[in-house]
Amino acid sequence: MSEGVIIGGWNYVIAAYSITATGLILYAWSLVARYRRSTRDNED
Amino acid sequence: MKPISKWIHVLGITGLVLLFVGSWIGLFVAPSERFMGDVQRIMYVHVPTAWNAMLGYTFAFAFAVASLWTSRPKWDSAVTATIEVSLLLNALLLVQGSIWARATWGVWWDWDVRLTTSLIMLLLFAGVLAMRSFVQDPDRKATWTAVAAIVAYIDVPMVYFCVRWWRSLHQVQSTPETVSSSMILPLRMNAFALLFLGIWMVVYRARLETLRRRQDQVAEPARLASVGGMEDV
Repeated sequence: MSEGVIIGGWNYVIAAYSITATGLILYAWSLVARYRRSTRDNED
Repeated sequence: MKPISKWIHVLGITGLVLLFVGSWIGLFVAPSERFMGDVQRIMYVHVPTAWNAMLGYTFAFAFAVASLWTSRPKWDSAVTATIEVSLLLNALLLVQGSIWARATWGVWWDWDVRLTTSLIMLLLFAGVLAMRSFVQDPDRKATWTAVAAIVAYIDVPMVYFCVRWWRSLHQVQSTPETVSSSMILPLRMNAFALLFLGIWMVVYRARLETLRRRQDQVAEPARLASVGGMEDV
């Protein structure tokens, strides 16, 4: 009946979305932190 | 230096909201696919990531040509920024693809032509940024970065067309005619979301590069003076 059909798999979906969100958040955070540090250094 | 325009921040926030709503629709509203079931929901983040990574590299190529043509530092900053942001998307693309492959093909990785060319794309552009970090002279750094980015870009059309040119486990590109209309909305929302977020990141990263160049310009005469002083001793 369900041959050839993938049952479940939400753990894979959650993993893919979580890793994507984490990657984007960490990069955005690092970007803002580096930019602020660089702006401060430039003013000094 | 002028502060970053408020419109760039508006674009970033719009991207964030769109990504949240698009993912919500993709995860909980769109129907599950007939054969892949819920695993197919990875598509709503995987495909937009792929589109934007390749779009970013295409802009990096255009900025590299402009950098070589004009020798203006702003194009060099743009090349560096677009490559770095595209590398992030490229890395996420490979991880998402690997997870999807495990769920559908039963393996985390296969040396399939689409997967291999995508990995080569990541390594080539990572190599461009690595090479850049070893060059001190700003003019030479800009020239070498632009040339390396243009050479690396050769792989990008191969990533896109390889599934048509060679036999691949990876499916060929879908079109609006081959995808259910209820799946198109979250796909497009996330595509624009990553585009807007990508633009926000590129603008920030390009500004950062410009700031660093200014700091180097200030630091360089001081460094040369200290080296000269040492030689005098």
